[in-house]
Amino acid sequence: MSILAVHPGASYHIESLEAPRYAGCFDRLVRPEDLPQVVLEDFSVVLIPCRTPADRMLEHAGRLRAYLDAGGTVIATGESDSGIFLPAINFTPQPTNFWWWLTPGADLGVRIAAPEHALFRRLEARDLAWHLHGWFDPPPGAEVLAVNESGNPILYIDEVSTAGRMVVTSLDPFYHHGSYFMPAATRFLDGFLPWMREELDAA
Amino acid sequence: MSVLFIHSHYGIDELLFQRHAEAGRVRLVRERNLDASHFAAASGLITTQHLDQVGLMQHAGSLRALLARGGRWIFNGHMARVLIPGLSVYVAMSNPRRADFALTRLADHPIFDGIDQQKLEEDMGVAGFYGRGHNPMPSDATAINGVGPRRLPVDWDWALPGGGRILSHAGNDFWHSGDDDALKQVLADRALAWVAGELGR
Repeated sequence: MSILAVHPGASYHIESLEAPRYAGCFDRLVRPEDLPQVVLEDFSVVLIPCRTPADRMLEHAGRLRAYLDAGGTVIATGESDSGIFLPAINFTPQPTNFWWWLTPGADLGVRIAAPEHALFRRLEARDLAWHLHGWFDPPPGAEVLAVNESGNPILYIDEVSTAGRMVVTSLDPFYHHGSYFMPAATRFLDGFLPWMREELDAA
Repeated sequence: MSVLFIHSHYGIDELLFQRHAEAGRVRLVRERNLDASHFAAASGLITTQHLDQVGLMQHAGSLRALLARGGRWIFNGHMARVLIPGLSVYVAMSNPRRADFALTRLADHPIFDGIDQQKLEEDMGVAGFYGRGHNPMPSDATAINGVGPRRLPVDWDWALPGGGRILSHAGNDFWHSGDDDALKQVLADRALAWVAGELGR
């Protein structure tokens, strides 16, 4: 099996998906408009990166749902309005305090909620702390991996809403890494993408 | 004819251009709906940091035709595809520090005339949004603003040999820079006027 990544084509997607640092993490890249030409069930994981325009994914919502119902895994990172094209996502935006780190000793408030999870053998809390864009109200039974300063989920795994698995976060690491603007976002991908390959592709 | 604004990012209205859109001076088109007729009907082009550059490659012929008939294009962001011969892909700074984000006016330009460039260096005290590198400049382009001690051309204006002009800004959309809302509107107004050929003839 293998990893399919949606490629919406912005400079930060090109840098994150095509440049040597992470290119080997994806077996195939597909334009949103070309999704009908791809058999999603051929892939273990479909990754939809941050800032994928939701109106370019909307027409594929049924196809994604069928893939999930067949046991597939979808990863959706932040600022893509994922609830428009994926099921059971309840999102509340929050103001983005991008200047929080200017205060000496400041803490954005991101916390790991499931330290025993395999992902956190590769990531520390500081690797999830750059900006906050909002939080989720996951369905009962979902596994919350990280929370914001108020204890609300910002990263979770939902294996109850469909027969498949959705890894959902409001963090936007592809945007920031691909914009050369946030070392923590790069550290996040340094841990998250190998975890994706080893744990989700091999599963 | 009006200026074409490719609206790439879903869920964010381009409020600084709203009244101009209502006046018919600029047409905002969702990227997914873009086709050749939009380029054919346009007098100029504005794109944002969120531009689908892979998708725009499919409109390269329309883009070249727009420039060849004297059209102007403001490009915001990092060039990751060579959309027009003569352009080059973005070069990021390596491990930049605060001093590397200092901005310097290098040449007069009607969009930036009378504007203190240092007011665009920081948003809420955070520097780097304006630019953290540069889109390499064609040899016959004019550098407008430099970034860092080496004054890398973060903004430049190029009169293409075959007609048309490109203003490249290698960062977040420049009219969103700084903390002064009035200044942001001035920059957006001037950007549109420049693309429309009303400034800097």
